[in-house]
Amino acid sequence: MRKTVLICCGTGCRANGSMAVADAIRKAIREAGAAADAVAQVKTTGCNGFCENGPIVKVMPDNITYYKVKPRDAGEIIEKTVMAGETVSRLLYKNEAGERVRSQEENPFYAQQKKIALSAIGQIDPENIEDYIEIGGYEALKKALAMTPDEIISEVEKSNLRGRGGAGFPTGRKWRTAAGYDNYPKYVVCNGDEGDPGAFMDRSVLEGDPHAVIEGLAIAALAIGAEEGFFYIRDEYDLAVKHIKKAIEDAKARGILGDSVMGSGHKLNLSVVRGGGAFICGESTALMASIEGRVGEPRAKYIRSVQRGLWNQPTVLNNVETLANIPYIINNGGEAFAKIGTKGSSGTKVFALVGKVKRTGLVEVPMGTTLRHLIYDIGGGIIGDRPFKAVQTGGPSGGCIPESMLDLEVDFDTLSSYGAMMGSGGMIVMDDRSCMVEVARYYTQFLCEESCGKCTPCREGLRRMLEILTDICEGRGREGDLELLERIGHTLQDSSLCSLGKSAPNPVLTTIKYFRSEYEAHIREKRCPAGVCRSLTSFGIDKEKCIGCDLCAKGCPAGAISGQKKEPHEIDPGICIACGSCREACRFDAVITLGKGAARE
Amino acid sequence: MIEIQINGKTCTCEPGEFLLKVAARNGIYIPTLCHHEGVGEQGCCRLCLAEVVERGRSRIVVSCVFPVEKPIEVYTDSERVRENRAVVLMLLKERAPESEEIARLCEEYQAIDGSRFKALDNEKCIMCGLCARACQSLGTGAIATVGRGTGKKVSTPYDEPSKDCVGCLSCARICPTGAIPYKQDEKERRIWDRSFTLVRCESCGEIIGTREELLLAAERGGREPDTLCASCRQKQMADVLAHTYGLE
Repeated sequence: MRKTVLICCGTGCRANGSMAVADAIRKAIREAGAAADAVAQVKTTGCNGFCENGPIVKVMPDNITYYKVKPRDAGEIIEKTVMAGETVSRLLYKNEAGERVRSQEENPFYAQQKKIALSAIGQIDPENIEDYIEIGGYEALKKALAMTPDEIISEVEKSNLRGRGGAGFPTGRKWRTAAGYDNYPKYVVCNGDEGDPGAFMDRSVLEGDPHAVIEGLAIAALAIGAEEGFFYIRDEYDLAVKHIKKAIEDAKARGILGDSVMGSGHKLNLSVVRGGGAFICGESTALMASIEGRVGEPRAKYIRSVQRGLWNQPTVLNNVETLANIPYIINNGGEAFAKIGTKGSSGTKVFALVGKVKRTGLVEVPMGTTLRHLIYDIGGGIIGDRPFKAVQTGGPSGGCIPESMLDLEVDFDTLSSYGAMMGSGGMIVMDDRSCMVEVARYYTQFLCEESCGKCTPCREGLRRMLEILTDICEGRGREGDLELLERIGHTLQDSSLCSLGKSAPNPVLTTIKYFRSEYEAHIREKRCPAGVCRSLTSFGIDKEKCIGCDLCAKGCPAGAISGQKKEPHEIDPGICIACGSCREACRFDAVITLGKGAARE
Repeated sequence: MIEIQINGKTCTCEPGEFLLKVAARNGIYIPTLCHHEGVGEQGCCRLCLAEVVERGRSRIVVSCVFPVEKPIEVYTDSERVRENRAVVLMLLKERAPESEEIARLCEEYQAIDGSRFKALDNEKCIMCGLCARACQSLGTGAIATVGRGTGKKVSTPYDEPSKDCVGCLSCARICPTGAIPYKQDEKERRIWDRSFTLVRCESCGEIIGTREELLLAAERGGREPDTLCASCRQKQMADVLAHTYGLE
């Protein structure tokens, strides 16, 4: 049987040099001669989600997965694995018990995932439509063409699919409403303007399985009676734009899109619009303004865009991941999908698990999975086994969740009832060396820059919240600041124009709610317990613990640390800039965090 | 026709009518800064807040862009409205400390104390965007809101004198806080970093506008540029009519 060498060429693996690995593997096959060429074919795939261990190379059907592959490993992979069926042990993943695991399924990062939206990614070449068709691609569209719009929508309603972009609006209901208007033309739009810091779910789907999203959007178009659709993709997603454009061209060439969708007589033209580089353009009405060529600013949504969207016509806007679930629902039936996940939130959700966890990357799990399972079982726990402090979910619209809530099930409604939100799936894990005030300040600053600036509460409220937070981080916090932050925050929630402003105070309000004492330490004691805020932090060395290894001094950018080898070292508080690199470098926990002006003699 | 309750008073309106208009027609005043009948709705100053109760659920809406579609209860002066408005007004005051209008509103609606903050220097603009919309619809689109976030401002392209500006003062006249400065003497008007020659009425000598403004109006109207002010033009017309009908 012919073997396939699958090389991950998602953006993450490319950054780690996977294109050079792919070249080296092709070269190794050529050099191994006709025998190798006859047994092996090479495919570049989309993102496998475990980018920190990339480049990832899989050999099928042996089902062997290699990590952190270098071009110099190519010869050995061809010679041993492809030709002789042996594994190259050093390239396998090492689990917690120190055992090398052969297949992806045995890797603890993958073992506990359930993939629907990501199911084909990593198996197929996203630039090859034949690959997609071979695994059953466009079967759902074919099936949908034999159904009435009402039947399609009923299937989606039965699935209970809710929008993956963050708001969680029932997709079937949205389609039903749009289908109910007989005001033509209607439009379908895919929202690929993913902008939350640290999130890359949609990018991976667009890059790795573009035809699935096209198929989903085409089914949406059939359901509501649209003949034109758009992919709005953020400008920074170069590879995603390239793959979607090629996929649209290929689908058109095969008669899947165009004047007669799969010969049905239905017309559907899809095109790509590159985003203008503003976070706010992920908001539905701002996105539509941007497609129309106007400034990307939202409007009041008392009249929804399903009624009056693009060019004031009925428009369905769905997120990338939402659409990627549609082919599965049509193929397997809405009920099969509804059985996965929880009652209120069916199906799976893709998360970008990042931050201070041992295994970071893209994970897809059933809705209702607990945070603890995600962070400790899939993520492997906190780096260096340090104490967990908080997990930030939902990006700038989300909140920070403390340890006491780790057993909460992650779905649309549970986290929201605690002031946070699942959002589009960003999940940033923080340890005890993360300052929650600084986290709130960071997100507020991000939003100050990314607010469209149209309405007063969002533009001016965020400006003032940032002013207070900066003061607190720099030692100028005052009594009454927290109450004022809460008061402004509640006004933003109540009276901002769009959901960016309404959710903008979440990072601040949740950190005040769950980490109030940390704020109070900053304000009253002028101390940053996490040792992050430089104006409030100095470092000292615990002479009992220091063994004089000199690692801290080597890493100090200011040259503030002195001491003889094998003797306890010292930090000169006059020179120290409180960057914390000594604390990161020390393997003996000998660097201690102190308040400003409390540096040890 | 729909019947709604505003502050307990029964009011009627057509479906889709904006709440602010319905309230105004019924003698219920809601403060607003960015609303102007002439240039369309935007809903950005967030002063015209109202609390809407529908099927037992209450929410804050912005009355200038909220279309009334169902029988609802509206409160324009509830505790929740007052709290939100008090915070919004404080934010506006710290944004535009030089504006007398904002200071007046802050007093009237008891804005919360904003002394904690560093107010912007010498600022009157509240970024409502009325000027840009007026310029778009009456003038030439010479100014627009520029940038986003807290750095958003109103300006000409690249902050350079705009060749499209005709000096018509639509922007300055519509501004609710008097934030657009201009200077004018006997012969010249200066605005947006450009100077315009003033044209006077041939009959009475009143200023009738800038040369560029009159040319633009003439071009759009398909006629010769005005040479008389509005009242002299009326007088001239009246004289013609009187002559025609022999009433001299």
